[in-house]
Amino acid sequence: MSVLEVRDLTIKFGGLTAIDGLNLRVDEWEIVGLMGPNGAGKTTAFNCITGFYKPTHGTVYYRDREVTKLPPHRKAALGIGRTFQNVGMVKSETALENLLTAQHTRAGYGSLQAIAGVSTVRQREKELTAHAEAILDLLGLADIRDRRIGALPYGTLKLLELGCALATDPDVLLLDEPSSGMGPEESDQLGERLLNLRQELGVTMLLIEHHVPLVTAVCDYVYVLNFGKLLAEGDPDHVRNHPEVVAAYLGGEAPDALAQTETPEDEPPADEIAPADAPVQRKSAARAPRKATGATKKAPAKKTPAKRAAARKEAS
Amino acid sequence: MAVQTEALMTTTVTNRRPGPSRLAARAVAAAPLVAVLFLLPLKSDTFGHVAAYAAIFVMVGLSMNVLTGYTGQISLGHQAFVGLGALTAANVVSTGVTPADPFTFAIGMLTAAAAAGAAALLLGAVALRIRGLYLALVTLVFGSVFADAIFTLPSLNGHEAGVSAYRPTFISSEYRYYLFALAMVAICYYIDVRVRKSKVGRGLVALRDNELVAAAFGVDVLRYKLLGFTISGAMAGLAGGVFAFWSQEFSDKDFTAIAGFNLALTFVVVVVVGGLANRGGVMGAGAFFALVSPISPLLQWVADKTHWGTYYGNNKFYIANVIGAVLLLQTVILNPGGLGQVIRPFARWFAGHPFTLHDPDGDAGVGAMEGSSVRA
Ligand SMILES: Nc1ncnc2c1ncn2[C@@H]1O[C@H](COP(=O)(O)OP(=O)(O)OP(=O)(O)O)[C@@H](O)[C@H]1O
Ligand SMILES: [Mg+2]
Repeated sequence: MSVLEVRDLTIKFGGLTAIDGLNLRVDEWEIVGLMGPNGAGKTTAFNCITGFYKPTHGTVYYRDREVTKLPPHRKAALGIGRTFQNVGMVKSETALENLLTAQHTRAGYGSLQAIAGVSTVRQREKELTAHAEAILDLLGLADIRDRRIGALPYGTLKLLELGCALATDPDVLLLDEPSSGMGPEESDQLGERLLNLRQELGVTMLLIEHHVPLVTAVCDYVYVLNFGKLLAEGDPDHVRNHPEVVAAYLGGEAPDALAQTETPEDEPPADEIAPADAPVQRKSAARAPRKATGATKKAPAKKTPAKRAAARKEAS
Repeated sequence: MAVQTEALMTTTVTNRRPGPSRLAARAVAAAPLVAVLFLLPLKSDTFGHVAAYAAIFVMVGLSMNVLTGYTGQISLGHQAFVGLGALTAANVVSTGVTPADPFTFAIGMLTAAAAAGAAALLLGAVALRIRGLYLALVTLVFGSVFADAIFTLPSLNGHEAGVSAYRPTFISSEYRYYLFALAMVAICYYIDVRVRKSKVGRGLVALRDNELVAAAFGVDVLRYKLLGFTISGAMAGLAGGVFAFWSQEFSDKDFTAIAGFNLALTFVVVVVVGGLANRGGVMGAGAFFALVSPISPLLQWVADKTHWGTYYGNNKFYIANVIGAVLLLQTVILNPGGLGQVIRPFARWFAGHPFTLHDPDGDAGVGAMEGSSVRA
């Protein structure tokens, strides 16, 4: 069963066809990359999947359930988490408050109870705060707990935003250029983090990313979009050597990315990105051949979909 | 590095337990406040009357705080909710010439809140997909049309003579009624605090800053906007109920035409001058604007002392508006944090922090004034 599937997705803005017949699939525990030059329609695809845009045509399935027309907050509640290309957080709030806000659907009390101030609310608030702090610790952001986010550097914001997306308790996470604003070292770290997250929390991911080493390091499968159309798909090595992809990027504006694609000796082999003493976190270990049955895939340690569903029920 | 120094700074500031001498200092500082809040109204009926009026404005301030401060929606028609509350309470209790009995009185207050909450829900539904200038226009028209259409119905406004609303005997004195009004302020205050400290307030603030982000966090933006309108309307309605028994009658003339518009403007000025999303500041501004309003003897008293008495008496309606306009400009241009920002160092000091003008939480609520750049 696929976690996320997009069939024949088309969206037009006036005369512009931003996405034209896109088909895309994300399976359980996969990290799938979505690449393409500027303006290719990647962010638009995210917006269609998460319900912010209404596709002109086509369908979106989440775990075999058609969700094309569900509004964004319902999809968030279902477990489709997302980040925004230019950082989507509540600007006037602190880091901690943002993480609390992101736990909206798992607050576990109703708005009337909140206003009456019954004791469940106070109890749950403590638990939500503890969870938010755990996420801050997980991302190494404990220092900025009480900082208003307006003044934080961009790379930190992107990381915190990832934390917020995690706080929504996602089953599948859509990340729009998570490494933007990060240096090469930070972005390597991010790669490890993403693999860890999958391992620890069992999150499936769809990732818009220009940074080729990161894509190579974490993605099991990559789709490349150009002018709204699917240009290529396959595993990262296949895709980055694909002549049409190379041509599309040459015509586009991503010479950096291309340079790294063309000179693999500049870039550490994927396996070195994960620490050697944590072999299970490596891509090769967690990754299974595409289109294999779920059984052959190494299951993440903690949270299985069944457990997730149970947890979700408990919370509501 | 920057992150670490900041962390150090915030840890040194959290000394929450003042010693005996510091407690004494705070008690001395609080004394005049307590005197103004309780002794003056006790000694003087006139002041008790004005203080209760101030309490009503504080309630409306809190109501606006929820709608404009947290939810980020503007309302230029809030006098309609206050008026509807007053009308409902007066008609439900229907005292005639005898004092209200406490039970009916309580029902009157509850229905006042409920009716205004429902009306605000209606306005919210109309306003859901409108923003900015158009929203302001819609609320303006809603307020005046609603007031003019409903408040002037002869069967509801006592056939133009007003509906009398005599206080229950246990709160009939000015001082006791003032204490009752303070209790109603406490209810609104409690609701405001609970909203702000739960997912409700976080959802409202999130949608105020950016609806897309709020939705991505799982907030049902439409529902929460309606919720913000409803909570705000109910508070305003409760304030209206208190107002009816404060003036001991409901008269449509207090809320329609120019009087109504004046009120609506004052309410908006209160929430901006107080500081967006700043509970304490908005309460302070609410009390202030009640005290300088034409019905308050405060400025008249000052003017008499300085031989401007006649001038003030002749122009007090304009003067109240001029004060509002000047403070509004001052706030928007020079001091976007509003009164709340100004009093924050003192409030923090009272809460047990060392006195400092450097404020780690300084930019709270500023987001309410800015747009946001995130797009889908
Ligand atoms: N709301 C909208 N209205 C009109 N056109 C839009 C809208 N959203 C996106 N587009 C257009 O759709 C095309 C695809 O944009 P999109 O943001 O999806 O590109 P992208 O692949 O995310 O690019 P980038 O790498 O620069 O983020 C662009 O031509 C853009 O101008
Ligand atoms: Mg994009």
